[in-house]
Amino acid sequence: MKIALAGNPNSGKTTLFNALTGSQEKVGNWAGVTIEKKFGTLKSKYNPTKEAIEIVDLPGAYSMSPFTSEESITRAFVVDEHPDVIINIVDATNLSRSLFFTTQLLDLGIPVVVALNKTDLLTRDQTVLDIKGLTNRMKCTFVKTIATKTQENGLDALIKEAMAKGGQKQATPFQVPDEALKAAQYDAKIAETQDRARYDFVKEVVRSVEKRQVENRRETMQDKVDRIVAHRWLGIPIFGAVMWLVFSVSQTHLGPFLADTFVGWIDAFYGVVEGAMGDSVSPLLSSLLLDGVIGGVGAVVGFLPLIMVLFFMLALLEDCGYMARVAVVMDRFLKRVGLSGKSIIPMVIGTGCAIPGIMATRTIKNERQRRTTAMLTPFMPCGAKLPVIALFSGAFFSDAAWVGTTMYFMGIALIIFGAMIVVRITGEKNKRTYFIMELPEYRFPSIKRATLSMLDRGKAFIIKAGTIILLCNALVQVMQTFNWQFQVVEEGMESTSILASIASPFAVLLIPLGFGAWQLAAAAITGFIAKENVVGTLAVVYGITNFIDTDALELVSGSSSVAEIMGLTSAAALAYLVFNLFTPPCFAAIGAMNAEMENKKWLFGGIAFQLGTGYVTAFIVYQVGTLLTTGSVGTGFIPGIIVVGVMIVAVIAMMRRGDRMAVPKPEAHLA
Amino acid sequence: MVGLFANAFGLKTRSERPTSLESAAIGETYTINSIETTDSEMKHFLFTLGCFEGERVTLVSVLSDLYVISVKDARYSIDRELASAIGID
Amino acid sequence: MANIIVFGILVLLFGSAIVYIVKAKRSGVKCIGCPHSGKSQCSCDDQVVNFKL
Repeated sequence: MKIALAGNPNSGKTTLFNALTGSQEKVGNWAGVTIEKKFGTLKSKYNPTKEAIEIVDLPGAYSMSPFTSEESITRAFVVDEHPDVIINIVDATNLSRSLFFTTQLLDLGIPVVVALNKTDLLTRDQTVLDIKGLTNRMKCTFVKTIATKTQENGLDALIKEAMAKGGQKQATPFQVPDEALKAAQYDAKIAETQDRARYDFVKEVVRSVEKRQVENRRETMQDKVDRIVAHRWLGIPIFGAVMWLVFSVSQTHLGPFLADTFVGWIDAFYGVVEGAMGDSVSPLLSSLLLDGVIGGVGAVVGFLPLIMVLFFMLALLEDCGYMARVAVVMDRFLKRVGLSGKSIIPMVIGTGCAIPGIMATRTIKNERQRRTTAMLTPFMPCGAKLPVIALFSGAFFSDAAWVGTTMYFMGIALIIFGAMIVVRITGEKNKRTYFIMELPEYRFPSIKRATLSMLDRGKAFIIKAGTIILLCNALVQVMQTFNWQFQVVEEGMESTSILASIASPFAVLLIPLGFGAWQLAAAAITGFIAKENVVGTLAVVYGITNFIDTDALELVSGSSSVAEIMGLTSAAALAYLVFNLFTPPCFAAIGAMNAEMENKKWLFGGIAFQLGTGYVTAFIVYQVGTLLTTGSVGTGFIPGIIVVGVMIVAVIAMMRRGDRMAVPKPEAHLA
Repeated sequence: MVGLFANAFGLKTRSERPTSLESAAIGETYTINSIETTDSEMKHFLFTLGCFEGERVTLVSVLSDLYVISVKDARYSIDRELASAIGID
Repeated sequence: MANIIVFGILVLLFGSAIVYIVKAKRSGVKCIGCPHSGKSQCSCDDQVVNFKL
């Protein structure tokens, strides 16, 4: 049996899907995207039969008209895949809008059962609904649900009803004459008239079944909160404060506290293995196992607690509904650079992982905006970059929370800057866009959901560490141990190893950025396979086995030792961090970019732009930082400034050319 | 249209009543009398939300460039351009 | 003797890692170690619509 879930965005559809199927897809209380159909199997506790019941979660839609492409996914599915019954999730607090879609679903001839969700809010608002009346007038059963509750949420009754109705005929309460229906497909005016009639019908139904005490149109406490939170100027520092809080808990307080114990175990394990092997194992094999595997992977895995705490906090943040307001706050700025509020979503998703973020750009209609967003999303530091940030803020800046926060704001700044450059290069700087976004109610975030999400992420991280990072580290270890004649490299002769000889040419390019050492170049290169590898590779090439001190509750074993070993000044360290964060993302993310760009010119342009950005920003950070701290510029200033200069000139030339192509600004209020 | 034009220059017209949501008063409910845009897709999308001629819209609050409106008991945040495209009585 | 054990352990580790990756790539997983790989991280559904003039 196949059950389809359809409903308006923000109606609680995904919460319901998770509750019914047990899959832990993340649920956010803000505007995001379900691009593909999501399948799941009904949990056995709701399924009394032996056969599997499939549940399909469709994209949220406001209506099923043939005019817009996103909504046609819903229509196509329902028409092509023949579900046995449709469960329509309806937000009980805005029937006036929600039932419009319901009447369209009812027209399809497939039995519909309505899950009247968020009924707890009805009680809160003292609104009374005549459920029987609704069932009668709409000719389908309405079942009260509260999808956010774990017990007594109405889901049992819902599924029972759905199973009972499966395969039956569905009467429709609002009939559109066939000729009108046909004509409506070609003539917008006729379609509109029909839709108006539909809305009138809905209005009538709602009027007869709903009794409101609280006028929804008045300003509520939540609106008052929004005034401050989404304020034009205040919104930004508030957002900054929130992010700072998230970072400091995960990287300065709770995170390192947990990591400390964890790393203690890794260390102990290292010791045990080392002892067990003693002298009886060849140094090659032993170093491969100890430093390459345990050391390298351990260095990365040591950050697991930090990452999990961070994701937990991000999940709470997303769940409470604040994120929608962030999108609203950022839209002002994004609009000025030719992007829209819609672009902020991929970027926020990107703070978890850039790949789903890039895929989320699929819904942006405007091609240029979509491609620009896909290209700029990786500038938001993703989860994989966290160990890198944590390592450097710990080793060079005593765990200061400002490092992490600055990286995020820098990401935002680079995105805005980058968007501005792109829109001028393409000559579209005067294109006007509209912005509209539904503001869901604030709600208390679910600890359970956040925990599950955090565990999910943790598991994925461990898998990644145990596979890709493990192999990379082993490879790096081998490459650093041998030279091209496959002899073991002597102490002090590391620069003759395979790894060194491959990385050195690149290292030369990095001299003006303050980190022209082959070890650092190698680490940055391995970062393209997975950004966590930067940490892993550094651990292997420098022979550092732990970055976390087990005695003091600090992230790094005496910042001096790591800093000394790497031989970087703080300006150079910051520059290196910036470089790794703002260059092209891992290959998997580049692959996702390729899928969205659909155009080689944009793809390579995007990658080139990312490389250029990483180089230029690292250069600026290093040179200016060195100037400020020592009073003179750093190494390789002249060749560096030439390279940077050439890049900047090239970009400006492209912008100028784009400006010449641009259409003049449209007049306001032209109708 | 004259009212809109005059509004753009900051002049007061004979009637003080706002002609579009952009200049509407906070907390007031209006009846929509037109959607002024050539973008038919947008017009249709607004329609599916219940935002079309004859329906009621309330301006809940204004956060400088962004207008929070309520249509059919749901809240949306829209930008100034869109607000000026929603003509009201 | 100890050498062989360590060698064996290493082969086991690397082997299973490679096997896992190959199996995952075959079944279309786009990014190893990304939860809900292939899908949107935040499955909150919505269409934030944006139109151009």
